[in-house]
Amino acid sequence: MDFLAPVINGFGVVLEPMNLLYCLIGVVIGMLIGVLPGLGPAATIAILLPLTYGVEPVTAIIMLSGIFYGAQYGGTITSVLLRLPGEASSVVTVFDGFALARQGRAGTALGIAAIGSFFGGTVSIIGLTLLAPIVAGFALDFGPPEYTALAMLGILLVATVSNGSKLKSIIAASLGLMLATVGRDTFTGEARFTFDNLSLADGLDFVPIAMGIFGLGEILYNLEERHNKVQAPAKVANVWPSRKDLKESSGAIGRGSLLGFFLGILPGGGATIASLAAYAMEKKRAKNPERFGRGAVEGVAAPESANNAAATSSFIPLLTLGIPANATMAIIFGALLIQGVTPGPQLVQNDPELFWGVVNSMYIGNILLLIMSIPLVGIFVKILRVRAAILAPITVLITLIGVYTINNSIFDIWLVIVFGILGYLMKKFGFEPGPLVLAFVLGSLLEENLRRSLLVFGGDAAGFVTRPISGILLLVFVVVMFLPLLQKAFKRTRTTAPAVEALHDEKEKV
Amino acid sequence: MIKSAFTRRSILATGSGLALALALTACGGNVAGSSSTADASKFPAGPVTLTIGADPGGSTDLIGRALAENASGALGAPIPVVNKPGANGALATKEVGASKADGQTLVILNASLFAITPLAVSAGETVKIEDYEVITGISQDDYVLVSNASSGMKTMDDLTKAGKKFNFATTGVGTGSQLAQALLFKQAKIDGTDVPFDGGSPAMTALLGNQVDLATIQLAEAMPQIKAGKLNPIVVFSKERNQYLPDTPTAVEAGYDVPVSQFRAVAAPKGTPEAVLTKLRESFKKAFESEAYKAFNKQNLFTAAEIDGDQVAKDWSANAAKYKELTVKYDVDLGGGK
Repeated sequence: MDFLAPVINGFGVVLEPMNLLYCLIGVVIGMLIGVLPGLGPAATIAILLPLTYGVEPVTAIIMLSGIFYGAQYGGTITSVLLRLPGEASSVVTVFDGFALARQGRAGTALGIAAIGSFFGGTVSIIGLTLLAPIVAGFALDFGPPEYTALAMLGILLVATVSNGSKLKSIIAASLGLMLATVGRDTFTGEARFTFDNLSLADGLDFVPIAMGIFGLGEILYNLEERHNKVQAPAKVANVWPSRKDLKESSGAIGRGSLLGFFLGILPGGGATIASLAAYAMEKKRAKNPERFGRGAVEGVAAPESANNAAATSSFIPLLTLGIPANATMAIIFGALLIQGVTPGPQLVQNDPELFWGVVNSMYIGNILLLIMSIPLVGIFVKILRVRAAILAPITVLITLIGVYTINNSIFDIWLVIVFGILGYLMKKFGFEPGPLVLAFVLGSLLEENLRRSLLVFGGDAAGFVTRPISGILLLVFVVVMFLPLLQKAFKRTRTTAPAVEALHDEKEKV
Repeated sequence: MIKSAFTRRSILATGSGLALALALTACGGNVAGSSSTADASKFPAGPVTLTIGADPGGSTDLIGRALAENASGALGAPIPVVNKPGANGALATKEVGASKADGQTLVILNASLFAITPLAVSAGETVKIEDYEVITGISQDDYVLVSNASSGMKTMDDLTKAGKKFNFATTGVGTGSQLAQALLFKQAKIDGTDVPFDGGSPAMTALLGNQVDLATIQLAEAMPQIKAGKLNPIVVFSKERNQYLPDTPTAVEAGYDVPVSQFRAVAAPKGTPEAVLTKLRESFKKAFESEAYKAFNKQNLFTAAEIDGDQVAKDWSANAAKYKELTVKYDVDLGGGK
């Protein structure tokens, strides 16, 4: 009963009218931006950060996380109807979703996606509810060496597992690490790369960087993309999937949810990778893989369950250890800091209302989304008619005013503009901004904890290996680092096994 | 809820203050020389902005807001609070120092910024107390040396007799926490390594998890864990015993010359007319006397130090000189950046 009391209290927090309202606002905004191609959840949360400044921390985070998982539902709609993924995490849904739509079964695809999303989300919330207190139980054992190992692992995964070119990801991550060194040295008080500017003495602030790179950068990039001519969306007839469809996809939904849950927890993981991996897995398991791409219901069910499960489970490392698993979590991390809450091992104990309030709001949010996404599909599709020329200037204005209000600093406005231009250029030249932002967050964590550990160890680095948790984390680090080499060796010895090769190729794409 | 109301109000107030200020400048444009004589009877001409060089929610912020709330009635003008965090407060302090000396813009000063930070950072990042008109001292916030209760260390004797090397957590480089511990351990001939953390809360977490042996943090932060029996208070670094921890000796009583506390004061730019300063001083005095403010101090474990402004400037200069002398005498180096 001891364990359950705070969980139940958390429901009390969510059911306060104010929090319910913000939860609804969050999921509606999430659904909207999910439908609109371009602006992703990371960008939207970054832009809306300052608006949450005046509300209670728990209310603010409930709304921001609503945007995040809401977007996973919304992204599906345009993938299925227009062959235009609203979100990166719905890219694979396009293949079978749009094929189904052309067969006049758009409703089935959307219905299955909504049910899969709901199931995936729910599985993850239950996982979060059970797992988070266990992780938090180890919290005090997490000292500087453990954080060092975790940050190293995180940066490695971010740079190597993310989508797109590996080399470009590593370059972006390195830039993020370098940006993290700006500011007064925490250990000696030495000014580093501050150019005698007092505004830089505390280093670059995370929020303007995120708002610039994700917010402004995405807006600029999307303005350039003029190919978004809205085609007439396919007619949505019956959204309730038939019993046969449900039966066919139930396995895929279950597997997708579990896979998504685990991939979401990993640093560098998240919704996009989870959806790709779940699709690949279903295709590999299928008896007739050639059905995929031609309207297989599992091809919609698996990635949609996985992306929602991952979106939810990526809250675990953030809320229990204070380590963001992906770029959106990094922004939620920033949101918590603005609210004066430091996410970390102590959060579950010190702030149970915030923790359980946010976790439990996801149950409610998912139910709201399920209700909205089935009957209201038609309304959301209409949103696609809003022209970018109207939306973009308004968003830029909100971004710039917003960033000023956080620290009352003009300097921060310049930062947003500079990083907005950088973000735009990065996207244009095919660099993912995610690794930069994550490496920036993890970089200062790594540097500070590495130096702190060495102080605690009296300079003896062996301590990293002899402490159980950091030792295991470092072992994982080594395995992840040399995995590609091992795989290559493995492949050479078994050249006759095409299945392995196929799997490997899928992974490469991921 | 209180915090959110404050924040929203301050943003609104700042906005309206700005509009008002613009309107005033526009009107006063033709009246030649009226501003240079700074007629004190016209003070306050609109809202008086109180700048705080720290994030919302910290001790400095709480104190500034409590003061603003309770002084604005007596002053007859709203006192919106504006947070401008950065460089330990140097950013906001410098900005107010450079603003017009008419009493419309004030700042909360932290003693550590003048007396301790200069020991760790380069001269360009520091400020001097002589460049401000100190209106009045506000309060004192004490540091306490704590150990994890499971270590069994309760007194300075336990530490000196342990004959081992200690890792001690500080709340950051150039803070009172770092200075106090460095001086104490040097004087007590205890071998220790200084491990800086980013503020009091992570330092305390590390101590609770036995990642470090000792930590020095602000009393209000340590108190819940001391009361819960998870942390042992060893010494407080104030000159006299702290009223909220009457059974814990001071470092001075234990025989070490380490008087370090965090003092705060409110100041205006240099050259603010005396009449304006007097009016401000009276308003803050009214605030200090209010029951609401007294209750606030008690609730947050601050000790009132409502010292006269001139005395504050003298004390802080003396402290700066004393700390400098002690660090030289005991060969303590707070940072590599000076």
